[in-house]
Amino acid sequence: MTPSLRSLRRCFEGAVPASIATCSPDGMPNVAKLSHVHFLDDAHVALSYQFFNKTRENILHNARATVEVVDPVSAIHYTLWLEYLRTETEGPLFENMKARLAAIASHTGMSKVFRLLGSDVYRVLGVEAVPGEANPETSARVDLLSGLRACLGELTACADLAHLLDVMLAGLERHWDIRHSMLLMLDPDGKRLYTVASRGYAESGVGSEVRVGEGIVGVVAGARTPIRIGYAVQEYRYSQATRRRFADSADGEALETEIPFPGLAEAGSQLAVPLMLGDRLLGVLYVESPLEQRFTYEDEDALVVLAAHLALSIDFLSRAAEHPAEASAKLIAVAVSEPHGIPVQIRHFPADNSVFVDNQYLIKGVAGAIIWKLLREQAETGRAEFTNRELRLDASLKLPDVTDNLDARLILLQRRLAERCAFLAIEKTGRGRFRLNVTRPLQLGQSTGN
Amino acid sequence: MPQMKSDPLLDAKQAAFLGGPVAINVASHDAAQIPSIARAYGCRISADRREVVVFLSKRCAQAILRDLAAGAPVAAVFSRPKTHETLQIKGARGRIQPLQAGDRAIMRACGAAFSAEIMLLGYSASFSDALMAPANDDAVGVAFMPDAVFEQTPGPKAGMRLEPKP
Repeated sequence: MTPSLRSLRRCFEGAVPASIATCSPDGMPNVAKLSHVHFLDDAHVALSYQFFNKTRENILHNARATVEVVDPVSAIHYTLWLEYLRTETEGPLFENMKARLAAIASHTGMSKVFRLLGSDVYRVLGVEAVPGEANPETSARVDLLSGLRACLGELTACADLAHLLDVMLAGLERHWDIRHSMLLMLDPDGKRLYTVASRGYAESGVGSEVRVGEGIVGVVAGARTPIRIGYAVQEYRYSQATRRRFADSADGEALETEIPFPGLAEAGSQLAVPLMLGDRLLGVLYVESPLEQRFTYEDEDALVVLAAHLALSIDFLSRAAEHPAEASAKLIAVAVSEPHGIPVQIRHFPADNSVFVDNQYLIKGVAGAIIWKLLREQAETGRAEFTNRELRLDASLKLPDVTDNLDARLILLQRRLAERCAFLAIEKTGRGRFRLNVTRPLQLGQSTGN
Repeated sequence: MPQMKSDPLLDAKQAAFLGGPVAINVASHDAAQIPSIARAYGCRISADRREVVVFLSKRCAQAILRDLAAGAPVAAVFSRPKTHETLQIKGARGRIQPLQAGDRAIMRACGAAFSAEIMLLGYSASFSDALMAPANDDAVGVAFMPDAVFEQTPGPKAGMRLEPKP
């Protein structure tokens, strides 16, 4: 019986080195160890091209190669009969292999040695199981499919974006025992992502930003491919230092660096999945664990399905929020208490729309512009009820077109306020509607400097 | 170039390395230059270090044994998991021979040493046992004279052909 390549995916985790045999033009065989074989699809694998070595010289003359991979659980060996097709030096496959190679290199103390020059793509002509004794021990597994079903079932019941995100991250923990997770949305400038929800961290990090191309989340956003890393990797960690470096050199608006990114200091495993809507990237779902080798191919499969569903749900709820429901009489009737206590000074810096509350940094960018508009409007007119739609139509906010998720911005702002100032609150009052609750007197000031 | 009655290609240190806790993979090719590959379970180096014999399980190595029987050349890579230290040896011809007295003991000892090494690296005992189980299979030796030795430890010297030291 010929096993399918897909059924061998455990062999491609890099846990047990593989071996490759090639043949030179003068008929001399060559055999070498491989750090990992990358599963591409049912008919293709890719090998890392790190040095111009004999293997590479040989396959450029004679495209046939034979690889032996080992299942890291059963110890069964498989022979793959391959034919070299092409080398990719950029794009999703290359980025994916680069991240995984960095992980293996870091794990094996080879960080300075392994460097990906290209991804060599091979057609798989045949797969053969080598006779041998299978290790009877199997690894315990969470039932991913039933967990996925439960997660999706819970999402269906969510009527607004904030609830959807919370239920989704809680579902990851309840059904898959994934305890550290976050969702980042792509800024319409296409250069950065901002954290809109997280779970499992001391500080939520809502409002923190990462640059596209930087760290695992940024690389996933740039290459639009899921990346899964099973070892601690320096290159794909987020440190304040690298984020500041990027912030300093950032073109256009500076990256948000005042709010720390919420990730684990020492992640043993990381998995990031892009949220795609057709060919449009909405954001990235990121999960991590202090344990090494925590996430399998099956976890990746499940998260990719969840992310597809999530992208559709986010888009649906965001579009709905652009059209406010009729205001509920009951909610409007709620008396807003008069502000009282010591006045709070709020300052706005138009250069980057940053907002400070009693000299403490609150937020900047689009969310900063929104809160400033709401506070000013309330000071001038006494109005507390607002709609998403009027924000969208307000030219002074310079909101991008509908591709920007305004609802996600409001959630970010709502959460940042809840964490930083108890006397300012944004409260949802219905689809596309919200209320600004202010419980202390405010003194608004616009600064001309930066 | 075949070595005349000069120094053997393998030095004593390299010979000791080949007999240590290493993963051994052997390759050859058929008449259409399609490569064949199999894991070997231990090796024996002759006292004068001019002959290497690697042990292959008959049921696990059918393709390569067929190619070697047809007279194709042989390559073998030896890699120590703990240090990534790796050597490749090539020979113009591999001679298939029955196990000799003492060979089975070498196979089992090599298997046990390799198992012990990878268990220290975190692999389970049951995985290591299953990995090395073919050391008990019906087996043959593939004997060859090393024509060339290559450094293959990952790093700047990978691929370098090693000459005998005077």
